[in-house]
Parts: sequence; structure tokens; C-alpha cells
Amino acid sequence: MMKKRLLAVVLGVLCSAAPALAQQTKTVTGTVTGDEGAPLTGVSVIIKGTQNGTNTNDQGRYSVRVAPGQVLQFRRIGTNPVERTVGAANTIDVVLHSVAANLGAVVVTALGRQVEARSLGTSQQVVSGNSVAQTQRPDFVNALQGRVAGVTVTSSSGAPGASTEITIRGVSSISSTNQPLIVIDGQPVDNQTLNSGVFASDAVTSSMFANRTVDFTNRASDFNPEDIESITVLKGPEAAALYGIDAANGAILITTKRGKPGAGGVEYSNDFAIVKLRTMPTVQQVYGRTNGDNGAFQYFGAPYADTAAKYDNVTGFFRDGVTQRHNLAFSGAAPDNHINYRISSSYLNQRGVIPNAMYRRINVTGASTANVNDWVKTDLSLMYAYDNNNQPFKGDGGPFLGLLSWPANDNAANWLTPSGLRRTVTNQGLTGEYDNPYYNVYKNKNQATTNRLTGNFTLTLTPFSWGSIKPNVGVDAYSTENLINRDPQSYYGALFNGILDQATDVTRNLNEQTLFNVNAHHFTKNFSIGGFLGQSVLDQRTNVEAITGEGYLSPTFVSENNTANRTTLTTLTRRRLVSGFGQITANYHDYLYLNYAGRNDWTSTIPRPNNSFFYPSASASFVFSDAFPSIQRFMTGKLRAAIAEVGRDAPPYSYVPGLQFKPTTGNGYGYNFWGPNYNLKPEFAKSHEYGTELSFFHDRLGLDATYYQKKTTDQIVQNIRGSYATGFILFNLNGATTQNNGVELTLRGTPVQRRDFSWDFVANYDHHHGKVLSLPHDLPESYVSDTWLYGNVRSGTAPGLSTESLTGYFFLRNKQGQLLIDPQTGLPINSNPNFINAGFDRTPKYTVGLTNTFRYKRFSLSGLLDFRRGGDIYNATQSYLVANGLATSTLNRDTPVIIPGVLRDGNENTSHPTTNNIVVNPATETQFFQQTSSEMSQELYIQKNINWVRLRDLTLTYQLPASFARSASVYVTGTDLWMKTNYTGLDPLTNGNSAAVGGAGGAGIDFGNLPVPRTFNFGIRLGF
Amino acid sequence: MKRAAAGVLLAGALALSAGCTDYLNVNNNPNVPTTVAANLYLPPMEHWMATSPQYDGLLIGLYNQEWAYALGSSFASTYRYNFQRMGYLSGSDVSAQQWRDVYWNFGQNLTDMMTKARAEQRWDILGVGYVLRAWGWQTLTDLHGEIPVKEAYDPGRFAFDYDPQSYVYDQVHVLLDSAIIYLNRTDGAVDPTYLAQGDNIYKGDRTKWLKFAYGLYALSMNHYSNKSTYKPDSVIKLVDNSFQSGADDALLTYTGIDPGLQDLNFLGQTRDNITWYRQAQFAVGLMDGSDFGVVDPRMTRILSPAADSGYYGLDINQPGFGALPPSKQPYNFWGYPGSTHGHPGKYVFDDKAKEPIMTYAELQFIKAEAALRKGDQATAKAAYTAGVSASIDFVNARNQDDGQWPTQISSAEKSAFLAAITPATLTLTDVMSQKYIALYGWGHNEIWMDLRRYHYTDKDPATGQQVFPNFSPPTNLYPDNGGKLVYRIRPRYNSEYVWNIPALQAIGGLAPDYHTKEMWITTSQP
Repeated sequence: MMKKRLLAVVLGVLCSAAPALAQQTKTVTGTVTGDEGAPLTGVSVIIKGTQNGTNTNDQGRYSVRVAPGQVLQFRRIGTNPVERTVGAANTIDVVLHSVAANLGAVVVTALGRQVEARSLGTSQQVVSGNSVAQTQRPDFVNALQGRVAGVTVTSSSGAPGASTEITIRGVSSISSTNQPLIVIDGQPVDNQTLNSGVFASDAVTSSMFANRTVDFTNRASDFNPEDIESITVLKGPEAAALYGIDAANGAILITTKRGKPGAGGVEYSNDFAIVKLRTMPTVQQVYGRTNGDNGAFQYFGAPYADTAAKYDNVTGFFRDGVTQRHNLAFSGAAPDNHINYRISSSYLNQRGVIPNAMYRRINVTGASTANVNDWVKTDLSLMYAYDNNNQPFKGDGGPFLGLLSWPANDNAANWLTPSGLRRTVTNQGLTGEYDNPYYNVYKNKNQATTNRLTGNFTLTLTPFSWGSIKPNVGVDAYSTENLINRDPQSYYGALFNGILDQATDVTRNLNEQTLFNVNAHHFTKNFSIGGFLGQSVLDQRTNVEAITGEGYLSPTFVSENNTANRTTLTTLTRRRLVSGFGQITANYHDYLYLNYAGRNDWTSTIPRPNNSFFYPSASASFVFSDAFPSIQRFMTGKLRAAIAEVGRDAPPYSYVPGLQFKPTTGNGYGYNFWGPNYNLKPEFAKSHEYGTELSFFHDRLGLDATYYQKKTTDQIVQNIRGSYATGFILFNLNGATTQNNGVELTLRGTPVQRRDFSWDFVANYDHHHGKVLSLPHDLPESYVSDTWLYGNVRSGTAPGLSTESLTGYFFLRNKQGQLLIDPQTGLPINSNPNFINAGFDRTPKYTVGLTNTFRYKRFSLSGLLDFRRGGDIYNATQSYLVANGLATSTLNRDTPVIIPGVLRDGNENTSHPTTNNIVVNPATETQFFQQTSSEMSQELYIQKNINWVRLRDLTLTYQLPASFARSASVYVTGTDLWMKTNYTGLDPLTNGNSAAVGGAGGAGIDFGNLPVPRTFNFGIRLGF
Repeated sequence: MKRAAAGVLLAGALALSAGCTDYLNVNNNPNVPTTVAANLYLPPMEHWMATSPQYDGLLIGLYNQEWAYALGSSFASTYRYNFQRMGYLSGSDVSAQQWRDVYWNFGQNLTDMMTKARAEQRWDILGVGYVLRAWGWQTLTDLHGEIPVKEAYDPGRFAFDYDPQSYVYDQVHVLLDSAIIYLNRTDGAVDPTYLAQGDNIYKGDRTKWLKFAYGLYALSMNHYSNKSTYKPDSVIKLVDNSFQSGADDALLTYTGIDPGLQDLNFLGQTRDNITWYRQAQFAVGLMDGSDFGVVDPRMTRILSPAADSGYYGLDINQPGFGALPPSKQPYNFWGYPGSTHGHPGKYVFDDKAKEPIMTYAELQFIKAEAALRKGDQATAKAAYTAGVSASIDFVNARNQDDGQWPTQISSAEKSAFLAAITPATLTLTDVMSQKYIALYGWGHNEIWMDLRRYHYTDKDPATGQQVFPNFSPPTNLYPDNGGKLVYRIRPRYNSEYVWNIPALQAIGGLAPDYHTKEMWITTSQP
């Protein structure tokens, strides 16, 4: 009833609206040029107050139908906008001045709206598609680190297709994902990383992966960076409130390229790259295996004979990776831009530094915008992607640790027996000895093939002068076929005589959204109000069909048809979300803007009536240099402030306990681990941020500074344990509170700008910190179980600790902080069985990303330096190497030591503790290097305050003379060329898990991880 | 035209958002049911009822000196050696599998099954539900003493107070009273075929469950032996109402079809759980003639010989094989040297050997004990003879479950043995020792209860002889014990020591020697 009445009101408003004034129109043409007189392409020419207009072509020319008296707005991102009133002249030429920072610049913001920077009350940052594409990284997400203040990007490993995790403003959720929403051309797109829990073998403890040993590509990697026009990062929930629940961790808006007016053109570019491992791990080659040739891969035995042959297995194993990529695009537009088109295709083939690792991708995209008539505009974009990925296993039993463990006196490259079986070198059997690395990469397999189609259709209707309607329908559909082969003779598969897992993930997400926009209405000359109302429906459906087979009949035939025991698992997930939202903006004198937005979500994943929730946000922008014009002699600037709430729902099926098929005798059903929570409610994040944007020296130098604070209450913590007397083991509960705060600074400048030479820089500084204030039911600790990778250290947190802290069996100390020593053994005592806090925090103190761009005549040089200070890294690889006598630090094993500390003899907390004087001989005290008991602790391998400087990317481009082609350039680009760090492992940029793991995940846990290698690219770009 | 089109589009958008109440109804997990037929809840619970005691039994069997751990020096052997010393493993869920299965695998599943059965008037399933609930509390309180019962399964509660053991025992009896009432009913929707679909123990036979209820009742009432309120007549009467022969034994048959191997006998070769366990001296002494002067024919069918064909036990006071020379080191329970696995195994130690939960022999010994305490030698002797005879039949039957041991104990061997071990005047030592043998290898919970009821080394007042002959506690008790013997298992670590600490504190559960605190049931306290 209510809805019908509303409908009647809306229709009534539409029908009574005044018709747009009929006016005499004429064609106006002109040329837009830049500072140096060069024509500017892609300048938007819009008739003020409408959505109508055109873009300049690659000669900088435009042509538009407009009525005298109307105002043309010329806008290009990164330049000062210009407005011209149409008079008698039929030609209007314009010069746009580029600026480092300008409040008049046009920016894309939430819901794809283009607004002037001055009106924004919230923090956002734009990165051009070219700067991302020129790094030649296959996954654009990896290029964002350092380019946006507040964004942290962590790739899982250096293998091709490895998943990458991205967070904005740190970690606020203890157990759920902290990754932002990615929106491409208005359509939310899926950036999931497959969770190993969908595999049928994961139900059995002895064969499960738990996101540790296998990694899958994050789906944002399906998009071709060459298709990206610009990336806008909305950092806080303030801006993202308009995108709702899924943008509680911020949003990344991507606008893809469109055709430009003028004659159609073809662009071809390519890229060839050589990939080399930047650092090689070293292991000691002095001592042999503990029990001679009969022991495990433990190297506490006698030294190798001087005459023994030694092999450099590590160097021999890796190879040079090779990448090639070809991009072909065809684009154009009608002279008046009433229709434009762009069709592009791309082929990428990446061969990793580890044998058999590869990533291959094919993209075909098409986009077209058309002004059907003077009030209907359509926009269509379609993307098809195919990718194929072969990743090596990682972590425990992976080729990396297998390689490091291999005996120095044995040639690892000799990996098969003469009869073609796995060659083992110990007497530990197939399941007791890590795979030979070659065997591992050639016989085991983790392969994924994805086919993805996204489509997005937008209509913009301007039936009246005062507003517009913009419906949008999009689909994001993909299927991924995953195959994991654990060879019947391999370390992983021998116990089961081979395990073959297959899982096909079919995902289909539909999104519908309609915006009803009301243009700013001037109540007085200097006061106007505008706004919009919107509605959206999101329907997400994922179906994973998995089968696992064990017991290969023919040991080499990789097919489910070849297995003796098969089990299947179906995982179907559905989620629906319906939203209504709106925003109202008041503008006073173009220097004070007030925005108020509200959104109501109805989600399927929260029980009624809690599933409907409203959250408001408000922001203000005050351009003080316009309010007090005398300031403009020194600077221009604005102040902004925002306060917002955003709600967030739970993963599907979180509150109703489900019965599980039981494989025990007689089968039947029983409850799974998770108990019910019928009172589940949405969590809420309340945040406020304050900022300023200042520019000096005629916009040659700009500063953007932001301080924010975000407090999440009623946070839903997944998989939290409770007393079994509940009848269950795990729960999804509300009740955690976390608080994040931080400072972001962006300094831009153009120190030099001459005809032949210019220098621009952008420096992004980020400091963020998240803290847990409380946990549900006063529980003592919450941890992410998948991160319990090696030894007794995990991503665990407790009230008062950082959201990125580590808990573990850490050393016990007396009140003075001295180590407690066991009077029997002379070794320190750890907190076994209690996971305790020892002050470890993986959050860096700050990071700085510095981009410099130099242009000299036809050359341009651009590079990004990434600085990080502070933050702890758990070097589990080192712990593993020490425990097995492989680390070079164990070479002094025959030197007796006294571990500094005090004996736990009852006097440890008195004024006269007994200083430890027990001599330990590391070579004979087996617990000295190992952490199997309550003595030594992995605490020794958590490195505090890790800093780095790394050259993320460096590109040199040379523009070839125009005689060569319409446009042509050649370039060389290097990524991850150089790093300096105080970390003693290979690379502190590491994730022990995959991006599928929630909470703080495995970032900063380094266990058998392949570091990101160096890549040298070169190629050519041609336009004709 | 323009405005009409715009209006239609807006109306369309609003229509999409409308009716969202039904549209959002997609949160019923399509991958799993939220409720199933009553008989489908039963199989996993029956599975755990038979299997779960075997998990903890590995360690309780060390307390009981049924076996010892033979592997040299590793963490796994160190902690088992600590159990041998009547200690425990701190910070671990080891030895609290039954806690998990009673609270979780029974838990809400049992509640749901009983609710459904009651609504559908399936009194047989409802009765079985009462039996399972009673069995769960009985088993848990005998292991842990105080446990949460009153507040257990209360939704919305995350902290649970512990109830005194006397309360738990009373609850068990209330539940068994209800079980007996319902299992006697034949009206409503009582349907053996329906029950049989989920009942892998008695295949739907309500009358056997009724006997099981009486048997469990008898077992429970017999635990009061140290109290003035002990009623031997009730125990005898309850036993008489329970199993009539070995045909009534509660046995679970393993299906052995799960690729994850979860439906195989826990003690079998494939599960590989007892590879390095070996018989202990005390157990060997009961059977090889040392204690009773006659070699038990069951010895060769239950225990394993060493390389020299002799039967030796491990000294529980020494780690590993201790001083035993290699030729005298017993083979594993499957009858093979070292860690060799093979078929056939023997007795209950085989992939498809049926797992007992309660047996006729066990109940006859309970009756014999009650009769002896009452002073009724005739009844005691009859029950004792029936018990030993049934135990021999049981060993024969287990050795045929998987065709594993072709040589059976003949009836002549049986009568000769019976004659040899039946003295003129039956003593508690005779009864309890034979009960120990009848429960050997699987009835760890009840063996431990018996040992604790007799405080391990109590003497039979009638003879002055130790009830468990030559049972000597470990000489090097676990340091935390403070010189005391073990009397209970600490509640499950990851359930209670992490998430229910205040309640645990209230019963003294945080004390390092909590496991040595004697339980109410074995004391004389009323």
C-alpha cells in the first residue's frame, strides 16, 4: 500500500514537471589545447546543467550542438576546468592548464558521478589507468601499492597468478574480509580468491589444505590493466556509504576506456619481459644428515667429507621467467561523439621462475556509448576473459622448502629412479620426506582455468531540464575449473595413493541499480540544493561442485575416472541485497557544501527483523580560499569533515546451524561445528574524518591531509570457539569492537615545467593502526586458524592488541623482563600451552610511496619508490631451517652458550634472582634448535620493526617521431628491481596464506614463500 | 513520450525493490538440511558411543595398566609415558574425546531426535534417546566428576556451571526411568523397521534397548559400592532384567566404506592408532598363571607373543620396552613385530571387529560383585561362572568378526579353565580380575571405575588380599600429582580451560593436581 502511494507520487512529479524549453540549437566547434599548445584529447565538453556533450578527438577538436546562452564546460582530469557561454561565434577554442592540485578539477566519485573536487567532503584519490598499465603488472591491484595513501597491497607469493590482498586503512575486521569493493563502470565485480574449503578433500584433516599449501588467483586479476582509464579509491566508509555493506572497507572505482572522436584508430602494444629471482636463499653445506644417510632432512650430523661432491641445487632449480603480452585495440567515435566505440583484445603469457609455473590470459572487451537522441544516452561495456594458471604448491612440503631441505651432497635435478618412480634419499618413506622440488613441480599440479564474462548496460535519460534517470543493469559471471593433483608417490599424496581434487566454481552475480538525479536547484543566486535517490538490487550466486578421488589405479593417469574412492561436495552460496539510498547536497556560494546521505539495506544473511538497517552520513566541504579571497595570493584550500555510519552483514548461512552428512558408521546426519545465533545483527562502523586540501604556487604544489577514526561495534566474529556445553564448537557472534585510526598525506608537486623538461612528483604517506577493544563474551583470544602455519604462532588478537598482532607460545619472563630458564636444561621456558601476547604487531609505523615523473623532449622517466618503517614479520622459513640444522646460523653449533636469563627456581621474582650459568651445547642439546616442546619459542624468529625501501617500478619511454606512425613509443620497464631491508629472510612482503583468508590473514608470515621476482620489460606502443 | 518512458523506468525500478520480503528468503543453506527424520540422527551417535571411549581408552588403558607405550623418545611417547605415570597432557584435548562427543555429537542432535520422536509418537526412538542421554552423562561424570548438566545446551549461554556428581548420577537414573517407560511401549508409531534404519547396534529391536537400559542402570547403581546407600539387591534385580546372554551384547559393526576411513574399528590396523602400544605386566599377570596359577585360554587370543613365543608385559615404570631384550619384546596387538600392519589381526583389534559398548559378561560380573558384597555366595558363583563363560564366547566371537583368528577356544578348554579358576569360596579378587579380563582392550571406562572404586590397591576385607592382585601404582608418579594417584580426567582443554574458566575455578579445576582429586562416587560420602 505504502509502496503504491509512493509510486503515484513519483509519477505525479514526473508528469507535472515543466517540459524542457525548446531552443534554437546550432553546432559549435573548436580546439582544446594544453599549456604547450599541444592538442588535448579526451577533454569532456558538457553543456552545463545537462548530461549532454562530447569529448575532444585526438587532434583536440570537438563539435557539439548547443543553444546560445547555454554554458559549455571543458573538463579534463588533472586540469583546471574552463566554462564558456555560447554566443554568436560558432568556434570556441580553449586552453586548459594542467595543475598538480586544483579544487576545480573534475573527479569521479561514488556511483560514477563526476563532480568538482571542491564539493567533496570526503577523502578519495585518483590514479590514472596509464600509470598502472605502464608497470606491466598482470594484476592491476599490485600496481596500487604506494600510488594511493592508505592502500596496502600484499601479494601471496612471486608465483604467476598468485593472489593479492588489498586493504584500505588497515585491518578492522578480526575474522571477515578486509578487502574493498571493486566497481567497474558502475558494476560491482567479484574479487574473490577461491577458498580451499570448497574442495571435497578439505573435509578430512589429513588431506586438507586450509588455504596454506595452495593459492588461487584473485579474480580482479582477470581484468586487463590496458582497458583502465582511471581508478578512484574511496577510502573511508564516508564515501563508500553510498555503495553500502560491501564497501565497508572502502571502494575502488574503475572507469574503463571509451573511444575518442575522430577517425577510427588502431593501437597495438606489446611487452616482453625477463623475470629473475632477486635473492636466492642460502643453506649451510657443512653438516650432513643427523643419522648419516638414514635420517630425515635434519642436518645435525657429521660434517660432509672434504672430498664429498656438493651441488648448488638452489641455483640450478630456478629458471628465467619469460613474459609476453600483446594488446590490440580499435577505437573511434563519430565527429560529434554521438556514438563511440572501443574494442580491445589482449594476450598475456607468463612463465614463472619456478619450472612449470605459468599464467596465461586472454581478454576481449568492447565498449560503446551513444547519444540515441537529445535525451537518451546509452553505455554498454562487455568483457570476456580467459585465464589459465599453474601454480606451484607453497609452504609446508612445497617445492621451495623441499629445495632448501635437499642434501647438499645429492643432485636434486636427478629426481626420478631409473624405473621412473620418485627418487627418495632418506629412509623416511614417501610420506616422511618432502618431495624433491623437481618432482613436486612436475608431478603435482594446481591448475585453474577461468572463463569470465561481465556486461554492463547503462541508460541515461534526460527527459526534463532539472534531472535525469540512470538505470543500470550488469552481470558478472564466471566459471573456474580447478584441478589439484597430488601424485600417488608425492609427499602429499602417497598416504592416499594419490589425491585428485577437482572443483568447478560457477559464479553469477547480477546487479541492478537506478539513480534518479535532481540537478542543483538555485533558491537564490548563491544557494542551491540538489541530490539524488537510488535503488539497487544485488543477487549473488556461487555454486561449487567438487569431487575428490583417492587411490590411483594407473599412477600417471590424472583423471577422476582413474580413482578408487571418490567423494563429492557441493557448496552453493546465495546472497541477496536490496538497497535504497539517496543524497542531498546544499551549495552556498560555491565555497560551502553540505552533503547528507542515507542508505537502507535489506540483506538475506541476517535474521529478521535485524536484516533491515539504515545508516546516515554527512560531510561538509569549505573552500576557505574562496570565502576569504585575500588568502588566494598565497594559496587555495579547503577544509573537509565527514561523519558516517556503515552497516555490514554476515556471510550467508551464518546463523542457522546446519546438519552435516556424517561419514561415520551407518552415515546419518549430525550438526556441524557451528551453533545457532538467531539474534545475529549487522555490525556497524562509525567513522569520522577531517582533512584539508591546500595548493600553493598556482597549483604547482598541493597537499592533501586526512585524519580518520573508525570504530566498529557489534562486529561479527566468525568461527569463535565456546564451551562444548553449548552443544557446538564454533559460533558466529556479534560483540567485538575494534578501532582504527590513521593519517594520510599526499603531497603533489610540479617543481619544473618547461617546454622541453618537466618534473612531477607525488608522495603518499600512510600511517594506520587498528586495535581490538573487546571480544564477544569476554573471550580471551580470537585467532584465524588457517594462519597457524608453522610452530605455535598465529594471527591471534585480544582486547588491547593490534588487529594485526601475533600470539604464540612465547617466552616466559620475570617482572624485570628477563627470560626464565629451566634449571634442569638451561633452556628458556615458553608459555606452552597458552597462546600469549609478546607485543608483536605486523602493522607498519608508516609507509611512503614516492612517484617521480620526468619528461625531457621525447623521453619520459617515471618510477615509484616504496618506503616502509616498522611492523613485525614472522620468519617461519628461518625457524624451519634452524630446526632442521639447515640455517647458516646453526654453523656455530659446537660453541657452547649460556642463554642470558634467570633460573625459574622460585627466586625469579625476588630481588635476588639466580642468573643462569648453565652451559648448553647446541650440537648435543636437541631442544636448542627445535621448538617441539615447552622450551625454545618461535619468538626468536619474529623480526621486529622491519623497514624497507624498494623500487617498485621504473619506466623509461621514448616517443618516436610522428613520421613513424600516428603515435609510437618504445619503453623499458622494470618492476621490483631493487630492495633494501633489515629483514634477514628473502622478502618481508609475504603472505603465508592466500587472499581467501579473512581477518589479518597470513600477511607478514613468511613460510616457504617464493619472493616476488625482478622483471625487466621492454616493448613498443603504436597507433595508426 | 520522454516523461512517460522515464516514469515507466522508475516504476520498474521500484517494482524490482518491492516484494523484497520473499526475495530475501534465500538464507536456508542449500548445502545441508536443517532437520532430518528422527532415525537419521541416530547412526553417528551410535558410532561415537562405541568409538569415542576407544580414543580416550588409549590413555585410560595406560592408567589401567592394560598396556604401555613402547616407542622410544619423541613428544608422542613422552606424553604417553606421562599418562603411564598417572599424569596428563596440559593444554591439550588428548583424553577428552568423550567430552567432545557427548556434548557435541550427542548434544543438540539428541535433543532434536527426541523432540521429533515424541511429536511423532515414536516411543522406541524416544526411549533410545533417553538411554543415550543417560549413557552420555554416566560416562562423562565417571571420567571427569563434576560436569555441566543443568545448564548444558542452554541456547544463548556461553558459561556453564558444573553440577555435583551426585546430581549427575540422579539425572542418569531419572533419564533411565523414562527410557524404561518408553521402551516398554508398543503403541503410537513404534516401528522396528523405521528404528532399524538408523540403529546399527540392535537393528531396531526395542526389547534389547530395554535390556540395555536396565544394564546401564545396574552398572550405575553398582558404582555406589563405597557408600552406605549401596543396594546390592537392586543391582542384582537390574542385572536380571538386562542381558540374558551374549546375544544381547551391545556391539557396533563397522561398515568400512568411507574413503576417509572414519567407519573402521579405531583399534584396527588401518586406523593405525595402537601400533606402538603393548600389553603391560599387570594384564599379562592376570592371564599367564602368575596370579591365578592357571594359564587363561584367552591369553593367546587377546595378547601378543614376543619373538621367542613367550608372553611378556611392559614395565610401566620404564619408558619404551624398558629392560626387555628384543626377543622378549611383545609384538603389537595385531600380532606383528614393530609397526608392521597386517591381516589378520585379532580380538577387538581388527578393522572390522565389532566394537562392544556393554556385554552380558560385564553385567554378570557386576551381579557377582553385588551378590558377594551381600554375602550370597551361590548367586555370586553362578553369575561369576556365567561371566567367565560368556567372556570366552565373546573372545571367540570377536575373533570371527573379520575371520581373523581361526583357532577357537573349545568347550572342553572352557570347562577345564572354569573348573580351575572357580574356588570354593569366591572372592572379590576373583570377580574383579575376571571382569578386568572380560573388559580388556575395550572397556577402559569401566575398568578404570573399578580400579578407582577399589582405590587401585584396596584389599578384600574377607581375604586381606588386594582386590586387583599385584597391581602396583607407578613408582615415579607425574610431578604435578604430588604423590597422589589419578582419579579423574581434566575437562576438555579447548572447551573449558580456554572458554569456561570461572566455572572451572569454582570446582578447583585449575589446580595442577586436579586430576588426583577423588570423585564423590568412589568415596563413602552420602
